[in-house]
Amino acid sequence: MKLSLTLPRQAWFAVFGIALLIGFGWVALRSGPLAPIKVTVTQAAKGKVAPALFGIGTVEARRAYLIGPTAAGRVRRVLVDVGDVVKAGALLAEMEPVDLDARVTSAAAAAVRARSAVATAQAQVQDTQSRQELAASEARRYDELGRKGFVGQSVVDGKLQQQRSADAQLAAAESALTSARQDLARLDADREGVKQQRVNIRLEAPADGVVTARDAEPGSTVIAGQSVLKLEDPGSLWVKVRLDQGRSAGLRVGLPAEITLRSNPRKLFAGKVVRVEPISDSVTEERLAQVAFDQMPQGVSTGEMAEVALHLPVVSGALLIPNAALRHHGAQTGVWLRADGRLRFVPVKTGEEGPDGKVQIVEGLKGGDEVVVYSERDLKDDSRIKVVDSLGGKTQ
Amino acid sequence: MISLAGRDILHSWGKFVLTGLGLGLLIGVTFTMAGVYRGMVDDAKVLLNNSGADLWVVQKDTLGPYAESSSIPDDAYRGILGMPGVAQAANVTYLTMQVRKASTDVRAMVVGFEPGQPGEPAYLVAGRRITRSHYEAVADVMTFFAVGDRIRIRRHDYTVVGLTRRMVSSGGDPMVFIPLKDAQEAQFLKDNDAIVNGRARTAANPALNRPGVPGLLDAINASQASNHNVNAVLVRVAEGHSPDAVAQTLRRWKHLQAFTRAQMEEILIAKLIAIFAKQIGMILMILTVVSAAIVAFIIYTMTLGKIREIAVLKLIGTHNRTIAAMILQQALGLGLIGFLVGKIAATIWGPAFPKYVLLLPEDAVRGFVIVMVVCTIASTLAIRAALKVDPATAIGG
Amino acid sequence: MATGVGIRIEGLSKRYGAGDTAVDALKEVNMSVAPGEVVGLIGPSGSGKTTLLKCLGAVIEPTRGRMTLGGEVIYDNGWKITDLRVLRRDRIGFIFQAPYLIPFLDATDNVALLPMLAGRSNAVARARALELLQALDVAHRARAETSELSGGEQQRVSIARALANRPPVILADEPTAPLDSERALAVMRILNKMASQYQTAIIVVTHDEKIIPTFKRIYNIRDGRTIEEAGEGRALE
Repeated sequence: MKLSLTLPRQAWFAVFGIALLIGFGWVALRSGPLAPIKVTVTQAAKGKVAPALFGIGTVEARRAYLIGPTAAGRVRRVLVDVGDVVKAGALLAEMEPVDLDARVTSAAAAAVRARSAVATAQAQVQDTQSRQELAASEARRYDELGRKGFVGQSVVDGKLQQQRSADAQLAAAESALTSARQDLARLDADREGVKQQRVNIRLEAPADGVVTARDAEPGSTVIAGQSVLKLEDPGSLWVKVRLDQGRSAGLRVGLPAEITLRSNPRKLFAGKVVRVEPISDSVTEERLAQVAFDQMPQGVSTGEMAEVALHLPVVSGALLIPNAALRHHGAQTGVWLRADGRLRFVPVKTGEEGPDGKVQIVEGLKGGDEVVVYSERDLKDDSRIKVVDSLGGKTQ
Repeated sequence: MISLAGRDILHSWGKFVLTGLGLGLLIGVTFTMAGVYRGMVDDAKVLLNNSGADLWVVQKDTLGPYAESSSIPDDAYRGILGMPGVAQAANVTYLTMQVRKASTDVRAMVVGFEPGQPGEPAYLVAGRRITRSHYEAVADVMTFFAVGDRIRIRRHDYTVVGLTRRMVSSGGDPMVFIPLKDAQEAQFLKDNDAIVNGRARTAANPALNRPGVPGLLDAINASQASNHNVNAVLVRVAEGHSPDAVAQTLRRWKHLQAFTRAQMEEILIAKLIAIFAKQIGMILMILTVVSAAIVAFIIYTMTLGKIREIAVLKLIGTHNRTIAAMILQQALGLGLIGFLVGKIAATIWGPAFPKYVLLLPEDAVRGFVIVMVVCTIASTLAIRAALKVDPATAIGG
Repeated sequence: MATGVGIRIEGLSKRYGAGDTAVDALKEVNMSVAPGEVVGLIGPSGSGKTTLLKCLGAVIEPTRGRMTLGGEVIYDNGWKITDLRVLRRDRIGFIFQAPYLIPFLDATDNVALLPMLAGRSNAVARARALELLQALDVAHRARAETSELSGGEQQRVSIARALANRPPVILADEPTAPLDSERALAVMRILNKMASQYQTAIIVVTHDEKIIPTFKRIYNIRDGRTIEEAGEGRALE
């Protein structure tokens, strides 16, 4: 049949043409704006959600001490270095006494001199006393003689005046003695004071701890209040956690915590919230809490970064959906509900959210409702959708 | 009457199809170029739409967070929130930087956002939204990260927990969303060496390092290391208020500028994309001219190869217009094949392009019309040659 | 069926150029061919036979003279027909030195093309084509592509094409030049058969010694002038 010769050619061309048209049709329908939007759906189901608060913080020592002199001076010697473990009362460093020793000696000498002054005043009192007694007895005798008319009145007056003068001199000597005594007391106190200062140049450990900083070397001059050494109690380490104010609902003392240290990210330490700071950071909008370790970890330094997860009570029987299903339309939060083959935006009210992404729906959905989780594009009420298993985003 | 053009095409269909394929690939490139431009415009629109914002509040005298860098204090949003007509106001930061994953670097725009506020990606294609306040990230699929990957941004490692699609910057860089505080730190905090140097310089300054004021140096270092800036505040306008009116109110604040969505579109499209538009326009023109030249050449060659037959046809009484129609139909047929192949090819290889290629149906229609017009014009060369043939040449050989 | 008086040429002259460089290709040529007659036009190259064919084929305009085809005056010191193309299509059949079939049409459509151009429906045109192909003993190759036909088959198809619109006149230009004597004679046999069957006046321009003896009448053309002669009229079986 001669016909068959021409057929293959026309057939091939027809095949090509049809393939082209099919390809074009496929292209037009499957991609571009005409194509339906691929989505994945899931059903809202009841389950448990374990909400957690999350924050980052730094490891700090609850009890830390700044060891320094109460007066300006020069450091004489420092007996410990960073890392040393010290006991309460141990001598850590010493300031130069400078002139303190001389001042102690001078105070002692002054006290001694004051004592001699007291003795002198005492002697003076005795002296004036004896003169006063003599003047008094003479005044009495002459007074009698005057009355008897044996001596003139002026002589009697003279003797009376002598008695009065001797009284006054006695009083003066007595008060001089008192003031000499007071002076002695003052100089004694001064001496005690200098002695106390002499003691204060000894810097001692106020409690057991570990030296964390050595801020001044022997020979350096420090002022009052400047630290020579810093000490901290390693058993008092805790984590100062900062939590976003907006996501800190339920923060209270006693919440169990999981602490991850930056230096040891694979190990989880258990802990507990021991204090919620009454003052929050208004600039960074964070609340502050202190979380203590249940068991003090070894080899931890202060200032180290830590991530803390605080576990709030588990909510059971909650209606859960993945948080990827939530959409925001203006002020409303909601989900795209697939019901009766149609798509509808349903506002919902959310409750707790777990770190795994499951969020509790308090209002708006019931169990078994099908919601759109992932979508290729933003959805609208009249979007045509095509439900697929996954959108091809790679997961490990 | 049979179709001479159809028969001729059928007869040398292989040559025709191959030429059509070649032309089609060229047309496909043309479509792709146009699609790249549309994609860029769409990138800009999607960027603006997906942010969920009605207004962008930025540093005064700058052109918004995308076209120009802008820096405003991060507590400015509080004042904005208190203004009439403002329903939501949220800080955002944008920074284009390299994001490391294992040994590879990806250039991405790192966006700092607050969950539930404008600036958050509207929808995901995998994974979940961020639940922790630090060190979690949502990345666009164009970064080629997978859910569960650990990526490094500046000083910290982040876990990718979710993936988005079509979240790209106006420059085409895919976006990576991280919590605002982490983004602020990434943007404004320097690396370790710089910080150490800074501390040394501060310590060497006697005005700042006073022995009589213990704690002063530490306070200064702390203040230098902290950052309280963001790039923009995204505002959602309340129901019943006009964005223009609210923007006007915000602009009265002396240190801030506010743009509505229309203004942002204009900035992005008119200013950022304008140069690309010109480039792509020129490329499209060149490609069109090249396609026209190819069609003209092919049809002319095919016609020249038929000169003798055309003389015979004319001699035995074929209309000039029948012959012209044959040539024209061949050119249009070639154009049709080229168009179909081109459209299919552009759709197939479009997703493989690093930039988003958007092909709209109206572009296909427009492209079809242009292809047909170009083929018609290109065929005039061959038609002129055919018409000039003298039928007498068939006699006497 | 073709009717009319065949071909009559009276005083046909053709001058190329003007003035000093003018060339008179045809000088007062007179010719007549009756319907059903096959006449030879013999002459050396440059004698003007091609020019005469072109004038008769209405592709060049003569300078002077009168041409009558199929009873219709087509030229009388000026074209008397407005549309020469239609004339060529409906009234003249052309057979060329080579078959000159359209390569992208099959045998049937090559022949059917002419009736289609004349406005006949495809079915009618193809029916007529098949009829002609049968008459030429080549119907079994009706659907073959041009490239699949042998030289002789192509020749016969081209003859069928020339006859497709039943023209009163056929102009054949060296139809047997590439053929051997057996085939050449076969072609002449066909031409004669077709001429008498369809009452067509056929002019055969040739200088092929093999077929010259078959003509009953011959026109010798030299230097643009024709002389009528009697031919041998050898019989063709």
